Amino acid sequence: MGDRGTGLLKIAGITTLLLLLWCILVWESPLSFLTPNNLENLLRRTSLYGVLGIGVAFVIISSGIDLSIGSLVCLAACLLALFLQVDYVPVGQVEVWQVRADASTISVAAEHGFKQGDELWYYKDRRNKGLVKVVDIGDTELLDGKSVTVLTVEPPPKRDQDSREEKPVGKISSTFDVVNYGGNAAELENNAPELKHNDKILFVHASETPREKTIDRNGEANQIILTDEDSGLNADFRAVPIRKTPYMSIPLALLSVFGIVLCLGVIHGLLITRLKMQPFVVTLCGLLIYRGLSRWLTNDQTVGFIEYQETLGKVATGRWETGIQFMPVKVDPTDDASSWKLVWDSAEGAQMFGVPYSFFIFLAVIVSAIIFLNLTVWGRHLQAVGRNEEAARYSGISTHRITTLAYVLCAVLTGLGGVMFAIDSNSIAPSSFGNFFELYAIAAAVLGGCSLRGGEGSILGVVVGTALMQTLYNSIVLLKIPDELEFTIIGAVILFGVAGDELTRMLAAKFRSKEA
Amino acid sequence: MSEHLLEVDRLSKSFPGVRALHQVSLTLKPGEVLSVIGENGAGKSTLMKILAGVQPADSGQIFVDGKKTSFETTRAAMDHGIVLIHQELNLCDNLNVGQNIFLGREPQKLGIVDSREISRRSEEFLKRVGLSVSPQTIVGRLTIGKQQMVEIAKALSVDARVLIMDEPTSSLSSKESASLFELIESLRDQGVSIIYISHRLAEVKRLSDRVIVLRDGEYCSELIGNEITHANMVSNMVGRDISQFYNRTPHPIGETVLKVNQLTTPHWPQHPVSLEVKAGEIVGLAGLVGSGRTELLRSIFGIDRPLSGSLEIGKKTVQIRNPKEAVHHGIALVPEDRKQHGLIIDLSVQDNVGIAGLQKNANRFGFANFQRQKSDTDTMIDRLGIKTPSARQIAKFLSGGNQQKVVLGKWLSMAPKLLLLDEPTRGVDIGAKQEIYQLIEKLASESMAILFVSSELEEVIGISDRAYVMHEGQLTGELDRSELNEESIMRLATNTAEHKEAKT
Repeated sequence: MGDRGTGLLKIAGITTLLLLLWCILVWESPLSFLTPNNLENLLRRTSLYGVLGIGVAFVIISSGIDLSIGSLVCLAACLLALFLQVDYVPVGQVEVWQVRADASTISVAAEHGFKQGDELWYYKDRRNKGLVKVVDIGDTELLDGKSVTVLTVEPPPKRDQDSREEKPVGKISSTFDVVNYGGNAAELENNAPELKHNDKILFVHASETPREKTIDRNGEANQIILTDEDSGLNADFRAVPIRKTPYMSIPLALLSVFGIVLCLGVIHGLLITRLKMQPFVVTLCGLLIYRGLSRWLTNDQTVGFIEYQETLGKVATGRWETGIQFMPVKVDPTDDASSWKLVWDSAEGAQMFGVPYSFFIFLAVIVSAIIFLNLTVWGRHLQAVGRNEEAARYSGISTHRITTLAYVLCAVLTGLGGVMFAIDSNSIAPSSFGNFFELYAIAAAVLGGCSLRGGEGSILGVVVGTALMQTLYNSIVLLKIPDELEFTIIGAVILFGVAGDELTRMLAAKFRSKEA
Repeated sequence: MSEHLLEVDRLSKSFPGVRALHQVSLTLKPGEVLSVIGENGAGKSTLMKILAGVQPADSGQIFVDGKKTSFETTRAAMDHGIVLIHQELNLCDNLNVGQNIFLGREPQKLGIVDSREISRRSEEFLKRVGLSVSPQTIVGRLTIGKQQMVEIAKALSVDARVLIMDEPTSSLSSKESASLFELIESLRDQGVSIIYISHRLAEVKRLSDRVIVLRDGEYCSELIGNEITHANMVSNMVGRDISQFYNRTPHPIGETVLKVNQLTTPHWPQHPVSLEVKAGEIVGLAGLVGSGRTELLRSIFGIDRPLSGSLEIGKKTVQIRNPKEAVHHGIALVPEDRKQHGLIIDLSVQDNVGIAGLQKNANRFGFANFQRQKSDTDTMIDRLGIKTPSARQIAKFLSGGNQQKVVLGKWLSMAPKLLLLDEPTRGVDIGAKQEIYQLIEKLASESMAILFVSSELEEVIGISDRAYVMHEGQLTGELDRSELNEESIMRLATNTAEHKEAKT
């Protein structure tokens, strides 16, 4: 919009810088830069950070700022981990509310489904647990307002000191006969519930220590194949089937995370447009609040997705195999890196180059963002509002709505970035995850030609800006520049980039005024 | 030679492709008021910028007291006693009057700013300009008129001998203007020379000892004494006859389009206003600056929400809570401040013309229709005669008149039923003014309802079918075409039967 010419000039400038840096890397450190591994990494990192950069670009174009990105990345990641938390719950387990050892009775929740003669597994804690047999099923009665059934069991469980409390004193669940056990296969009695891959079985015995085993797959009839063998197990054990129950399904968890960050974006937007608070202040508070929330929700414990290696993990580490194999090799062993060639396919140690899945997500974000910003009414309105909010309002644009939209888009893209970062790293330390990401995102956007004065900036510029930042990071590692200088170098490049941009702007203005 | 305080010899200045100033000479005697007039783009601003050291000339010479000089900076010009007072005042709102007068030249005692000395010396200059405010007053609290006085006091404090004033009355009320004129006359009597630039020919006529007319960057003519008449000045500036200036053709007046019932604006909550505008009618809204006319338009257009009262658009009572709804009801507003509110100055002509219609012309997926935008823009460039190299030209590089046409084009592309205009010809040169008047006439004849605010009496008298007059937020009267004259308007505008201000 407006001066498309200078916009293209900016992108051309920064692209030149990026190509130059690539040339330096190829020249200086070809053997490590040109490996498929390194290139894939570069692509992956650019994709992850790029999503955040595009998000903040919308806000910057609206002439605002979002400082909460890093914390919001962390919050989204933590929420996803919490929503996908997995519990292992024995099938048909019910709560025990009271134990009366003298009368050999226990009071369990009324909806139990146990029959006389059933053998049950009672569990309170490590020391207080065991197999009990139902001798008699008594009446349903009220205990502290709860409807319970009194079971007479044999042997009587140990009495609890504090058995009358608000919370249950233990849990109890059905057990099933192990008809046959051998190798890593166990056959359970006919009426045992069906179990699936990754569910578990707790083998319990009146006198032996219980053993928990993970199920690999179902065999024939009621046969279950476990992941490992255990010579200590035999058919005398009874089985407590345990089902893996995630708190939410993956789509529901993702939807919830996006719903929550969207609401946060709306709140940012409303505070800024309706209460006329400054974006800097609102999002600075966001930065603090979301970080604290993340730590509180997770008890400041590192969370991850260990249970989801085969689903989410695949997305994170997955690549689209291109079938291209290559490897840079030294030609003259006496010489340093200066004589080398790129060997395709058959070279020893040549790796396959694959495009990380995250890049495809990034690509989809880029395309949608470009279409949104340039071709839709809202995108055009956003640019107008960024340039001159008053004039936009006088032209009949709902400026409040458009500004809010910018914060919502930023928050949603941050949420997406958070999810991508989370499954990529698989280990989220709530106190540090996502630290400074807002600054990387803003830096990439600014480097890519977004002006903090608003109204200016292109998605393509932000993409190149992010790539440049990541390449810089890469080169600090490859060129063996001391780590300590990392920020200094990135800062200096941004400073020069933006200074150069301002200089061209001034020259262009001078030239134009002469023309006018 | 030394009788001239300032002598300018054949100054020229070119920008690539444009000859802004060509071989212009002038002289200035001590204690003389010299007006420089000309259409926008005639070279007045360029000439003044060169004199005040804002930009250098390509060729030509400047003599002060007969000595050849050249100014590289405004500081150097100031040292020679030449000070430019900008149209937009250069004061710091947050500082007090004294601090502003001595900004950058603060008297110091042991490295500490001596506030007492500032106050003492400021008072002397304030007295000279006849401003009775304390030097401790924060400038932001003063009216624009008083701020201008402070600016002049500041100029006097550097011993200015030549004051260049660029459109000094553009944001003053008539009362403030009158006291400015008195000040100019008293400064003249004290031997200060004044170069006065204004589009308001009545002021020029009243103040000037001599008038220089520039046209297309060249010296055109000089008028002295009783040659300085309105007609003479206009014909010299435009090279055209004034008689067709307000060229009116009668057109039929239709149904009521807008009816305002007892509307109160946040600025004047105690004064409800009622008025109506019919299709094909040009209604003027006259009054002094700050009389609540702009506020009324803002409330009609939904920028400020009215406190009470109602609006009827075409016999239907409507609620207008924001400009978007106003546009939806077929209302358009050409605001007073073109650069802040009318245009997005960094965007192209096409983006500006198309911005209001983006939503309306979009398809159902929200994609903008750029072909439509382009064709609308081309139509408007054609229809309004917008002088621009292309639809892609950035709006800030157009002249004031053409920028105003872009704003008009934006709204005409929406085909409004009611057009609100706030000072539509402010900062617009005479040629473009005439085109705008013709356009207003034409729109009215196509049965558009037009309500326009103007501080120029002759404009109100020249083009209105009817006019309302406001005074301090109150509608003080309604005048028919036959009753419209400067006296009747001024009487209502000042709300005093006995007050008669001769304007011409």
